Amino acid sequence: MSDIVELEQPKEIGHEMREEIRRISDRHRARRQLRSRVMVTLCAIALAITAVPLLLLLYQLFRRGLPVILHASFFTQLPQTPTLVTPNATGGVSNAILGSLVLTAYATIMAVPVGVLVGVYLAESDSKLASLLRIISQTMAGAPSILMGLFAFSFVVRALHVGFSAIAGSFALAVLMLPVIVISSEIAVRGVPNTLREAGLALGAKPHKVSLRIVLPSAVTGIVTGIILAVSRAIGETAPVLLTIGGGYINAWKPLDPVSALPLSIYENAKSEWPSLRTQVWGIALVLVVFVFVLSLSARMWASRKQQAR
Amino acid sequence: MKDEESRDDVEVSDVIPLDLRRHDEVVAEFNSATPSRTWYHYLLIAASIVFAAVSVGFVGTILWNSLPEWAHHTGTLLGGNGWQSPTGPFGGLAMIVGTLETSLIALAVAVVIGLGTSISIVFFIPRRFRNIVATLVELLAAVPSIVYGLWGFLVLAPWMLNTVNPWLNKWPFASILFGNPGQEFGTSLLLASIVLAVMILPTFVAISREVISVVPQDLIEASLSLGATRWQVIREVVLPTARIGLFGATFLALARATGETVAVALVAGGVANTQFHLLYPGTSIAAWIATEFGEAQGNEIAALMALGVLLMLLNFGLSLISRALVNRQRRVLAVV
Repeated sequence: MSDIVELEQPKEIGHEMREEIRRISDRHRARRQLRSRVMVTLCAIALAITAVPLLLLLYQLFRRGLPVILHASFFTQLPQTPTLVTPNATGGVSNAILGSLVLTAYATIMAVPVGVLVGVYLAESDSKLASLLRIISQTMAGAPSILMGLFAFSFVVRALHVGFSAIAGSFALAVLMLPVIVISSEIAVRGVPNTLREAGLALGAKPHKVSLRIVLPSAVTGIVTGIILAVSRAIGETAPVLLTIGGGYINAWKPLDPVSALPLSIYENAKSEWPSLRTQVWGIALVLVVFVFVLSLSARMWASRKQQAR
Repeated sequence: MKDEESRDDVEVSDVIPLDLRRHDEVVAEFNSATPSRTWYHYLLIAASIVFAAVSVGFVGTILWNSLPEWAHHTGTLLGGNGWQSPTGPFGGLAMIVGTLETSLIALAVAVVIGLGTSISIVFFIPRRFRNIVATLVELLAAVPSIVYGLWGFLVLAPWMLNTVNPWLNKWPFASILFGNPGQEFGTSLLLASIVLAVMILPTFVAISREVISVVPQDLIEASLSLGATRWQVIREVVLPTARIGLFGATFLALARATGETVAVALVAGGVANTQFHLLYPGTSIAAWIATEFGEAQGNEIAALMALGVLLMLLNFGLSLISRALVNRQRRVLAVV
């Protein structure tokens, strides 16, 4: 008798419990799905909040910049200061374009050999010097660019008595580019498969031959990508050149001449009282952004070429 | 078949040289084969020494040039108000406060919105558009900061002056936080924070998108198969797995915001007042160096260099903390 009761009761409770559990889980699932839907919506809103100002920026840049750069004189003439009689005479920015190209070229010449060699050294060595240099390059890569300006000002402009010049500005940019090139070269060289190195060594090549003739050619796409990215960062930097190149309204390119640069003329024209200069500034910004975009996209194409080659 | 015949002529010592030759001979040959004795190795070492010298010179030069100011006016530099241009005293409090205010607000905004954005890009956007959006974000991250500053100065500042300021002033609680300058200033600490946030968003999204997209698909599918909702997968699986990289992205964004110079110089107003009401103009360390350096002489240059030292300490500190955090997380993950 008691056996039967005990056998039947659990059946009843089990059934009720199952119902109860289903009810709770239904409610729980509804809550989970609601919360999921809310959060997904919030993420989509975040995407919209990100997109609106950035697309607006790009739109306004092209909208206001294109009419300015469609005049050939923008690229060929020297800048003029508007006067009350000729409020729209702004001239062009040939000096700033030439200056930016020259500065970046000198900086690249200074930074690339040292940067690539240090990157190779870091990738192939585990000495204490290497791990110290690795920390230094990571720290330097994040250092504010204005500090490079302070360094180049005190060292090149003042201590070496060079004065405000292209070489001082490109020194600042080279210090800025160095850690970027070091880090990307190290990654590129480390990415070369060890089997290639071993194959070279097994054929009797000396280690430095293997490094020069096998490892570097295999890593060259990665290294070039890093260099292009470093150049595209350097060409847009304002703070280091603000303190070092001195500006100037003539086409100058010699290392010891004071030069102008695109970011510098943006900074100066933006603060100008003349509406015509504040209109022209969008054209300068557009030229700079196009330079940077072309460099970044070509770096991406190099990188994808590397992936295809593998 | 020629090989077969010639094999008889091979001397035993050529085939197994290590066993038959003297130990020091073997060591000598090994050493001559390692890079440490070649011109190439010396070249690598020389380049490394040049790099190390430049880095030491970088820190040393700025420190050395700031010493005259640190020696006499440490208190003023860290806690003084006001910047009397030709002679001094040169107080750094306004710049320190302004740097912290603008970059922390910008970081808070950028991290919250940026995280949502990268999650949307990785999980919710149709696959066709994903690469285009990712490329666009990376291009925007490469746009020079002066362009963001220009946009903030010529487009946002008039908008702040004519639309946002009057609107904010309507709210009583807002004026406690932001102050109530009326339509006096377009450029302000608030605008600097907004421009910084817009500027560091692509940087943060570019990195965090990459970090989130490398979370193993297995983990996500396992979690989905157990009945987790999309948000549960993101919260319980994706974000914890990606947190190291997200830390890194956050600190990088913060470092970029604190070090930003010309954009802040254009939109913050350039006034050396210690200001907690965000609608009033202010400045930051880097922006103040940029705006004042042109006319600076003697002691003022030393004072600006001293501000540079503060910026360097802040930046290097951030980079140390982020590296320590990332290393610790890695160790924890390795144990698990």
